[in-house]
Amino acid sequence: MTSDHTQPTGSRWDAVRMGWPRPRPALAGAALLVAIVFPFIAPDRSWLSTAALAMITITLAQSWNLVLGYGGVWNFGQLAFYALGAYAAAVLATYLPLPPWVAIPLAGLVSAAIALLLSIPALRLRGIYVSLLTFGFAEVVRLLIVADQSGVTGGSYGMSGFGGFGFSGPHALSANYWIGLGMAVLTTLILFALIRSPLGNGMIAMRDNPALAAARGIGQRTYQMLVFAISGFLAGAAGAVYANVFEIASPTLMGLGPMTLVVTMMVVGGLGTVTGPIIGTLLISFVQMQLQDVPEVRFIALGIVLLVVILVMPRGLVPFISGLWARFRFWMDEDQDWTDEDYADEPEPNAARQLAR
Amino acid sequence: MNLVLQTLVSTLVQGSMLALITIGMNLVYGTLRVLNMAQGVMVMVGGVAAWTFVANFGLSPWLGLVIGVIVSALLGMLSYGVGISRLIGRAGVDFEMTAFISTFAIASIVQNLVQLFYGPRQKDFPTLVPGRLELTPGVSITWHQVLTAAIAIAALSALGLFLAKSRYGLAIVAVAQNLDAARLMGIPARRAYVLTMGLAAGLAGLAGVLLAPVYFVSPNMGDLPMLQALIVAIFAGLGSTKGTIIAAYIIGFVQAAVSIFWTSTYAMPVLYALIVVVLIARPFGIAGKPQEARL
Repeated sequence: MTSDHTQPTGSRWDAVRMGWPRPRPALAGAALLVAIVFPFIAPDRSWLSTAALAMITITLAQSWNLVLGYGGVWNFGQLAFYALGAYAAAVLATYLPLPPWVAIPLAGLVSAAIALLLSIPALRLRGIYVSLLTFGFAEVVRLLIVADQSGVTGGSYGMSGFGGFGFSGPHALSANYWIGLGMAVLTTLILFALIRSPLGNGMIAMRDNPALAAARGIGQRTYQMLVFAISGFLAGAAGAVYANVFEIASPTLMGLGPMTLVVTMMVVGGLGTVTGPIIGTLLISFVQMQLQDVPEVRFIALGIVLLVVILVMPRGLVPFISGLWARFRFWMDEDQDWTDEDYADEPEPNAARQLAR
Repeated sequence: MNLVLQTLVSTLVQGSMLALITIGMNLVYGTLRVLNMAQGVMVMVGGVAAWTFVANFGLSPWLGLVIGVIVSALLGMLSYGVGISRLIGRAGVDFEMTAFISTFAIASIVQNLVQLFYGPRQKDFPTLVPGRLELTPGVSITWHQVLTAAIAIAALSALGLFLAKSRYGLAIVAVAQNLDAARLMGIPARRAYVLTMGLAAGLAGLAGVLLAPVYFVSPNMGDLPMLQALIVAIFAGLGSTKGTIIAAYIIGFVQAAVSIFWTSTYAMPVLYALIVVVLIARPFGIAGKPQEARL
């Protein structure tokens, strides 16, 4: 994509050494093509509706990945922003004559504002305490919605019957799917651009070595608040798309069960990678669809997958496989004896250049 | 006056229960640096194990209590062996984060396994002692509640003695205080970990059996105690035992007061709101050690 002109020559700004994700235009293009024609090759409607949900979940997972994977902030309250976005869209559609195209960014802004507010107390905390605070926040939101008796949010039944995108006919679901796909692609592009921007570099620096990052002039306050706001916006927009596609916003969007699901998707794919959450989401969505008729077994399988992945490859599928691939390439290219240190975490400069070739 | 008395009684019972559940979580966090998300499931396993033996084999509830504690303690040790021990000392991986997610996965697996075999229905569990105690006209308390508070306080005292006096308890404390120094003194840290996980789960199982007659036995009977225990743990500051007990009674009091003077629907939201305020004012709880500041 933009690799040719944003990557100056010379060893000082080598994209691989910087840990930047390298775009693979051919692969991404092929995947996108398959994704676009998917409604025509899907075996039946249940595949398509699973895929539509998966696309929205990719958006959510990518927004979460930004904070959790790249920012290293233990935010476990992301589903609250997602649900708030869904509720905001539902309330806007019910009480104001706004088209979905206006309601989605507005819902995103609502979530972004709340995320910004939550980032202020979260800034004072470290590690596990952040997860407790954010999880606690999400629980408050959920319990307040469930306990709401004023009729605005519909309590534990949620809101429905507010129209959605208004597609009808045989291709309504396909249209919804394409909107979800567009959203997922857009979010991934935003994530990709952010990671390669100074903001992303600062974020990663802060995750890997906060003391050094602060000494080099990266202000935690600005960066973390910005990241929270952007991530909250994306999650809120994802929630709004969900509300419009499935025409419902309910408290079941939040809670431990959905959180397990999305965390599993991210962890299985690989936190802190661009492709990880996408692959994880697609994989887990597919498995979930196959086990739809046996809900208990479904969650047991989910738990076992999560446990095995975290024990065998704690960094996720994508880093694991790309590590194996790098090993293989290195072994093919270098006709010499090698040791583990040659490619322990970062490839050696000459190995890196060969990989980038 | 009656309402105040009712609140105080409720505080005593709930606070003891919360202390019992949370102290295990805090012990585990103190020694292992793992926030054990499976603690709520251990509560449930204790209740379900006791119910299985009492309902199917007609054992007395007291024997069920013992069985519940043993089963959940064994499961706690097993979960350490399966989910946590392999993550310790892995290079390039954030141990706290991976272990947190791994206990989360274990909780999900165990809960759904129980649901698969026992079904989601709520089951009755006999009270350990029947009858009520009239405190004043209008305020009464079941003997079961009295017993619950008594057993919880006895268990907590026993735990305190164990940690302060016995060889193994001192080993756990030493590992919690300074892992490297403890190892240099010849304490086998891994055994201390196993023991801590077993203890924590056993205490949770005890709480589960005591809660069973009140909350009924079902696969998600541990969810609410877990959420409350999280609140207590944050409020106390992770890794502090004395703080846990104080925090448990404070949280128990707030919960009882909100339920009795307002409505029980808002008890949890109020608690979480309180926690957010506490975290902002005092980021490491009332008695926790400030984590080494990462700037």
